[in-house]
Amino acid sequence: MVEITPSYEIEVETIDTDHRRLVNIINEITQAIDDKREEECARLVPDFVTFSKQHFAREEALLVQNGYPGVEKHREHHASLEGKMNTMLALAERVVESAAARDELRKELIFFLMDDVINEDMDFKSFLVDAASREGE
Amino acid sequence: MQGLHLVGVSHAYGTTPVLDNISLTVPAGEVVCLLGPSGSGKTTLLRIAAGMERLQAGRVTIDETVVAEPKSQMPPEDRRIGYMFQDYALFPHLSVLDNVTFGLFRQDKAAARERAMEMLGQVGMTRHAHKHPHMLSGGQQQRVALARALAPEPRLVLLDEPFSGLDTDMRARIREQTLTVLKRNKVATLMVTHDPEEAMFMADRIKVLGENGRVLQAGRPADIYYKPANEYVARLFGPMNMIDGIVEQGELRSSFGVIAAKGVADGQAVRVLIRPEGLILSNGGGGREGGTPVDILSAHLLGDSSMVRFQVREGVNSGEEFQVRIPGAFDLTEKGQVWACVDLRHVFQYPQE
Repeated sequence: MVEITPSYEIEVETIDTDHRRLVNIINEITQAIDDKREEECARLVPDFVTFSKQHFAREEALLVQNGYPGVEKHREHHASLEGKMNTMLALAERVVESAAARDELRKELIFFLMDDVINEDMDFKSFLVDAASREGE
Repeated sequence: MQGLHLVGVSHAYGTTPVLDNISLTVPAGEVVCLLGPSGSGKTTLLRIAAGMERLQAGRVTIDETVVAEPKSQMPPEDRRIGYMFQDYALFPHLSVLDNVTFGLFRQDKAAARERAMEMLGQVGMTRHAHKHPHMLSGGQQQRVALARALAPEPRLVLLDEPFSGLDTDMRARIREQTLTVLKRNKVATLMVTHDPEEAMFMADRIKVLGENGRVLQAGRPADIYYKPANEYVARLFGPMNMIDGIVEQGELRSSFGVIAAKGVADGQAVRVLIRPEGLILSNGGGGREGGTPVDILSAHLLGDSSMVRFQVREGVNSGEEFQVRIPGAFDLTEKGQVWACVDLRHVFQYPQE
């Protein structure tokens, strides 16, 4: 089971909530793989990709709203993940017949979320946390 | 999450920065490879994770325990990390069994011996348990080093160029066995290497580090090889053929035919890189439809493949030389015109300044 433990928290509620939702979908997908419910797994991966894109849009809007100087670079990073999302969708179409595709999909989902999404979000963590504390003063 | 988590790690030696804001995750049971040239900071990152280098900025977490922040550092021996280095680092005066038992000092003797023998069994070294390291081959010593690294059931294993001291044949066998044992033990593994093939074989995910200590690309081995993020990453995997040109009407003209320019504006300079296996040679049959006529300059058999150099005869790349890798031998005695065309899966384009 994947979980958002403290070292993966951005400490911005809306973003952490989105990350938790993505973790939940990954856990549903891996559970479906373990239970040999491959059709359900194939159905859930497009949900994961759709929610990821919605999350990126929400996050970019939040960064713009807070005047984060690296917003364009982060937007470019999100755009660069398109290929990986397409790979996950392609793997999802193969999970019914291929154990290798199931294994690859499981790994790719975890690395995508924890490394490509959350670790990259760490770049603006202190900026947003500081912005929130300034607002609170 | 179980495994290694580095966040925002930066490091400098004096005024020279070697790592710039690196974050990475190695989940339990997975292997992440840091691939980069000397000076890219990959060994420094490994030493920071191990606690052998003091963390200057960022945070290191293993299995959700913070082991390093700039203000507090857990000693290396308390981090439950296994190491495997290029030089094996076995104690020469101890037997194989005693080398593996060495890290099990917290267990009673019988339990430690049982665990050590179990690990020696996993790496196929049980019958060498009472020998000393100097009586073993390089490959056998490395298998003992792996058993020793895994015996204390570490939370994380760090591999630093672990196979570079081995000859080609032995290297392939030992790395395959190492990967099998690491996966069986479901331990998070961070490996550094400058060898792209090694990284491709071992890694679930590769992080390519550039000379300035920044991550240039992270992804599955297939992503790094087939979708390199920039010219530097593309060239890591060996020689490349190159075509420079200006984009016109969304295309680049070449002797091999037009190549669609993706995301590059008309009038902009673009560099096209083609891997040696991205060119295809044919003899006659395909005719003009099959590509462009070429003159063969040389052919070198490398074992199961050959590297063939040729010169383009006509068109915009007339007179330019290219190299192609083909399976098996190239028959220089075969008559008829040779043609070359491009396999677009191995073509990468990068806009030029």
